[in-house]
Amino acid sequence: MELAILFGSFVTLMLIGTPIAFCLGAASFATILYMGLPPLVIFQRLNSGMSVFTLLAVPFFIYAGDLMVRGGIASRIVAFAGSMVGHLRGGLGQVNIATATLFGGISGSAVAEAAAVGGLMIPQMKARGYGTDYAVNVTSMAALIALLLPPSHNMIIYSISAGGKISIADLFTAGILPGLLLALALMLTAYLVARKRGYPTEAFPGFQAVLHLGAVAIPGLLLIGIIFGGVRSGIFTATESSCIAVLYALFVTVFVYRAMSWEAFVDATLGAVRTTAMVLVIIGTAAAFSWLMAYLRVPTMLIDWMSSVSQNPLMILLLLNVLMLLLGTFMDMGPMIIITTPIFLPVAQHYGVDPVHFGVIMILNLGIGLNTPPVGAVQFVACAVGKISVWEAMRSVWPFYGAGIVVLGLVTYIPAISLWLPSMFR
Amino acid sequence: MIISPQDRESLPLVTRILSRLCSLSLWIAGLGLVLMTAFVAWQVYCRYVLNDSPSWTEPGAVMVMSWFIFLGAAVGVRENFHLGFDVLLYILPRGSKSALRTVSDLVVGSFGVGMIYYGSQLVMLTWASTLPSLGLPGSFDYLPVVVGGVLIVLFSIERIALRWSGVDVDRDVNLEEVPAIVATGEG
Repeated sequence: MELAILFGSFVTLMLIGTPIAFCLGAASFATILYMGLPPLVIFQRLNSGMSVFTLLAVPFFIYAGDLMVRGGIASRIVAFAGSMVGHLRGGLGQVNIATATLFGGISGSAVAEAAAVGGLMIPQMKARGYGTDYAVNVTSMAALIALLLPPSHNMIIYSISAGGKISIADLFTAGILPGLLLALALMLTAYLVARKRGYPTEAFPGFQAVLHLGAVAIPGLLLIGIIFGGVRSGIFTATESSCIAVLYALFVTVFVYRAMSWEAFVDATLGAVRTTAMVLVIIGTAAAFSWLMAYLRVPTMLIDWMSSVSQNPLMILLLLNVLMLLLGTFMDMGPMIIITTPIFLPVAQHYGVDPVHFGVIMILNLGIGLNTPPVGAVQFVACAVGKISVWEAMRSVWPFYGAGIVVLGLVTYIPAISLWLPSMFR
Repeated sequence: MIISPQDRESLPLVTRILSRLCSLSLWIAGLGLVLMTAFVAWQVYCRYVLNDSPSWTEPGAVMVMSWFIFLGAAVGVRENFHLGFDVLLYILPRGSKSALRTVSDLVVGSFGVGMIYYGSQLVMLTWASTLPSLGLPGSFDYLPVVVGGVLIVLFSIERIALRWSGVDVDRDVNLEEVPAIVATGEG
C-alpha cells in the first residue's frame, strides 16, 4: 500500500504537469504522512541530499559551460571543427558532431551543448539546404557525447548516489572510449543519411586554415587537459577542478578572447542559477524519494524478482537496460540517476558487473532517454532551436537512435571498452 | 512568467512587490554562485600556495549552495522554468488545463508549507548545537529550507490568483529562453 501511494501519487502528479522536483517531494511527503512516520525525515533528507561538497561540481561545470558559450569559446571550436571535417559528405552534420565531441570535453552538459552547438550549427545547416529534422537530430544525438566525456557532471551524480565510493577519476576515464565510439557511430550515420538525401560537402580550406583555426581554439581546448589531468592525477578533486574550469573560462573569455561583456557575464551567471537550481532541487527531493524506496525495501524486491526471471548476467544486463530505457523516456537524467542507482547498482553488482562499467552503461542509456519524448530535455532544446515540433524530428530520428542503441549494446557487452583505459592508470 | 510592459502597469501592488522579491532572490542566488566559486578557489590557493587548507571553505561553500538552490528553486516556481511533463496537458481542452495547473500549483504550495513547518522544527531542534568548522548554530543548515518554503508558498499563491484573474502564467519559458541564449552565443 505504501508503495502504491508513493508511485501512484508520483505518476499522477507527473501526468498533470507538476514540476518533477515537486512530484518527487510531494509523493514522498504524502507517503510518509500515510505511514505515520515523522515527516521531519523527508525535509532532513531533502537538505542532506543537497549538502554534499562533491555536488558543487554540478553548478560549477554548468556555469563554466554557460561562460564558454557566451564568451566565444564555443564558436571558435565550431570554426576549428568545421575546417577539419567540413569536406566530408554531409559536411555540416560532421562538423556538428566533431564540435560536440570537442566541446563535450570541456562542458559536460548535454543540454548546454545542444543549445550552444545547435544554436550555432542548425541555422547554418538550414541555410545550406539541410533538412531541419536532420540538423535537429544530429545536434540532439551528438550532444549525448558530452555526457560520456569528462567532465561529465552526471558521472559525479552517479558517484554520489552510489555512496561516494566509486572513483570519479575512474568514471571520467571509463567514459572516454564509449564517448568516442558514439561520435564515430553518429558520424557514420550522418554520412549515410546525408548521402541518401544528397546533402552537400564544404570545400576543404587547406591545412594552413586548419592550423590557424586550431591555434585560435587552443586556449579553450586546453581546459580538457586541465580538468582531466587535474582529476586523473589527483592534484584536484572533481569539485576543485570544476571551480578551476569556471575561473579558466572567465580568464580566457575576458583576457584572451576579450568577448565577455558585463551583460554577458550577468546573463551567464543568472542563466546558470536557473539551470542548476532546477537540477539540484530535483536531486534533493529525489534523495528523499530514494530514501523512502530503500526504507520500503524496493531494491531487495527487485533483486528477488530479477533472480526469479534469470540467473544469466547477460540477460540481467539486458533487462536493466530495457527498464532504464523505458523509465528514461519519462524522467530526466539527474533524478533518474539518484533514484535508480541505489536500486539497480546492487542488482548489477550481485551479478558481477563492475560499478564503473555499470555507471557508463547507465549514463549512456539514460542519455538516450534525454532524446525521447515525452520527457526529453535535449531533444526539446534542439527542436526549440530548430523551430520544429518534436514529432517532426521523430519522423527521421530512427537511424540516429539505432546508432545510439548499437553503441549501448557494445558498451554493455564488451566491458573492456569502458574498463581498459582506467586499468591503464592503475 | 513573462509579463508584457503594458500589462505591468495594471498589475496590483502585491504582484509588483513579489516581482521585486523574485529578482532579489535571483540576484542573491547569482551572488551565491560567485561566492561558492570564490570559496573553493581560495581553498585551492591555500592548499597549493600557502600549504595550509582552511577548514571553513568546504562547509561554507555547501551552506551557500543550500541558499542558492532554495532561492533559485523559488524563482523557478514564479518564472515557471521547472521541468515538467506536459503531454497530457496538450491534448486537454483549455478549461481543464488551467484546472490541472491550479492543482499543480496547490501541490507545489503545500510542499512549500511543509518546508516552512518542518523546516522550522528542524531549525528549533538544532538551535543549541554548533557547526564545528563554522562556529555557527546548527540551525543555519535548515534556514534556507524555511525561507525557500515561504517564497515558494507566496509565488504559488500568486500564480493561482493571477491565473484566476485571466493572466497567462503557464507559457513555457524553457522553450522561449533558448533562442535568447543562442543569440548571444556568437562572440
